[in-house]
Amino acid sequence: MTSSVVESAAAARGSLAMQATSISKDFTLGRGAVLHAVRDVSLNLYSGAVVALVGESGSGKSTVARLLAGQERLTSGSIELDGHQVNVASRGAFRSYKRQVQMVFQDPFGSLNPVHKVSYILERPVRLHQHPAGKTELRAELLRLLEQVRLTPADKFLAKFPHELSGGQRQRVSFARALAAQPRVLLADEPVSMLDVSIRLEMLNLLDDLRKRLKLALLYITHDIASARYFADEVLVMYAGQVVERGPAEELTQHPAHPYTQLLVASAPDPDKLGTGLAAGSQPARRAESAAAASGCPFSTRCPLVIDRCRQENPALQPVSPARAAACWRLDIAAPETVAGQQERRKA
Amino acid sequence: MKPRSSRALPGRGGVVPAGEYPDSAQDLPMAGPVLDIKDFSVVYRSPGADVRAVHRVSLALHRGEVVGLAGESGSGKSTLAYGICRLLRPPALITSGSVTYQGRRAGRPVDVLHLRAEGLQHLRWREIAIVFQSAMNALNPVLNVRDQLLDVMHAHLKLTREEAAEKAASLLDLVGIPRNRLRSYPHELSGGMRQRVMIAMALATEPEIVIMDEPTTALDVVVQRDILAQIAELKESLGFSILFITHDLSLLLELADRIAVMYAGQLMELGTAGEIQHEAAHPYTKGLLRSFPSLHGQRRELAGIPGVPPDLSSLPPGCPFLPRCDFGTAACSDIDMTMAHVRTSDDLTHLTACPFVLPDEQQPRADRTAATQAVEG
Repeated sequence: MTSSVVESAAAARGSLAMQATSISKDFTLGRGAVLHAVRDVSLNLYSGAVVALVGESGSGKSTVARLLAGQERLTSGSIELDGHQVNVASRGAFRSYKRQVQMVFQDPFGSLNPVHKVSYILERPVRLHQHPAGKTELRAELLRLLEQVRLTPADKFLAKFPHELSGGQRQRVSFARALAAQPRVLLADEPVSMLDVSIRLEMLNLLDDLRKRLKLALLYITHDIASARYFADEVLVMYAGQVVERGPAEELTQHPAHPYTQLLVASAPDPDKLGTGLAAGSQPARRAESAAAASGCPFSTRCPLVIDRCRQENPALQPVSPARAAACWRLDIAAPETVAGQQERRKA
Repeated sequence: MKPRSSRALPGRGGVVPAGEYPDSAQDLPMAGPVLDIKDFSVVYRSPGADVRAVHRVSLALHRGEVVGLAGESGSGKSTLAYGICRLLRPPALITSGSVTYQGRRAGRPVDVLHLRAEGLQHLRWREIAIVFQSAMNALNPVLNVRDQLLDVMHAHLKLTREEAAEKAASLLDLVGIPRNRLRSYPHELSGGMRQRVMIAMALATEPEIVIMDEPTTALDVVVQRDILAQIAELKESLGFSILFITHDLSLLLELADRIAVMYAGQLMELGTAGEIQHEAAHPYTKGLLRSFPSLHGQRRELAGIPGVPPDLSSLPPGCPFLPRCDFGTAACSDIDMTMAHVRTSDDLTHLTACPFVLPDEQQPRADRTAATQAVEG
């Protein structure tokens, strides 16, 4: 499996910032058991573009973020930042890497230390990464950061403790903290899923605005494929540690090729199907909970199109359109309109 | 299973056609709602100022109906649900209102707010069961599934050991968990299975009403879809009513018969799912509808709702949504927040708390619309 089966839909936005090639991560569970949390994932992040990583809990999407952030050691594969191999072996190297690659976490209640004021929370990364000359300079930088995430009046927020802020305001502080290092790459792990619906959109708009203004390369991790449709340039769908489909957000969500993506899209609430969606029997019952297959295609235990080949061989990503690829042996049936589907049928 | 088209819409006209419920039509004591909440208020006492968590909410749940309660965190939706079961503890205090329960087994209407301990013990779970949000926290980690189910039945039903054991197993069948998981502990089950166990426990006593407090929020979409389909199936076969609480309006549009939208402890709008989706009258509902990205159909312009929810301990008079409202006028700061019929609607049960804005009104302030850009960049 190579990284560039297809041209990334995010490439048009800007220059390549980060390149992960065939990264894998195994966790040893004891007694010789190994969990393949991430298997052979390749992805590119471009300045000023959003790549979304979509999948259910346990699909390995957060592990990918932790690998990219240098917080986990790779089992295999490589990560490059601006064409240089990433090395976080020493403390100094890790710190200078962190200056460029920052993470935002899901839970704004858990990710801010409750005993510190906002000023202290922001002061530390600023001191560490920007080495301000004096107190006035430091304070000016803190105010600038808060204004950047639209927490105004900024001086009022500096003196607050996290518990005095709403969920949305707290998440803004986490954004500001990540931006304090002036990173080029921002890894956002479910940044809005803990927030209220009416706040979510504002946060996504803020992220989008920061991406544009600061030319951030953004990885947006989410379980909500609908938000990925609106927010991302390219979407990667993960299942059991593997990327099963990737492509431009609109194309992938409107014409999913892989059976798992199709299941995800069909499962999302659809307000236009008033009342009908709940009609029992319209969905594959209880298939949702079978475990991923140990050999062959991981989705084969749940896939409606499964054949013997799926249980034996794990399919690689193959192009289904100029910008899209899916890993499935049954693309001729699952997505007959696609290029690969046509090729398959011509061969047959 | 009955086809969807024969679905009862008791909201219209208020009378359930007897033919809709073939198994129970003869023992229907009266056609009124199974649960009638009137003018219900809850405050949380606190040293500074009382927090007005639920304020003068009136809502009826009809037999076999799914009523969705939509609202953001802090809107009072869970407080309302626990309040009507009298599950709130001090400093929460019910300050006004009445809750009338009219079950098939109960015979006479029951005044829930004046029930004594014994009556409450009977009402809870036997008549009204709750599926709590976090199955991990609501299940006892040191008891296996079977013992937890037996616990419920021991407390609320008169069954022999054998009957109870058999019933526990059949309940698992009902929610689609293999019987060999009876001896499993909660940590050995997946999130979806735990939620199914919660549902099985709620259904153990064949309640008339099941209150579901964000039953699928922590689950993946695919599992969520499975569980909702299961709930719908069980509802059809067992004939209970559902009060479904969630912050996810898009989910409710799909599954609820009627939807109540709450904000800052008050009802903002009440209508059928179709009315809420296509003829939303209240600015807050309109805002919510513009807030969630849709996966299906055309890309819509998303706007969200600027601002933050109000502080419930110091609510100004008038409409609590005013600071975030695009339609706000000076008159909004002293209006009486009574639910009134939407003037342009044919349906007399489509109610809104906003006397000024009508369903077909679009964003009035051009500058704000421009500021709330779509995410398209």
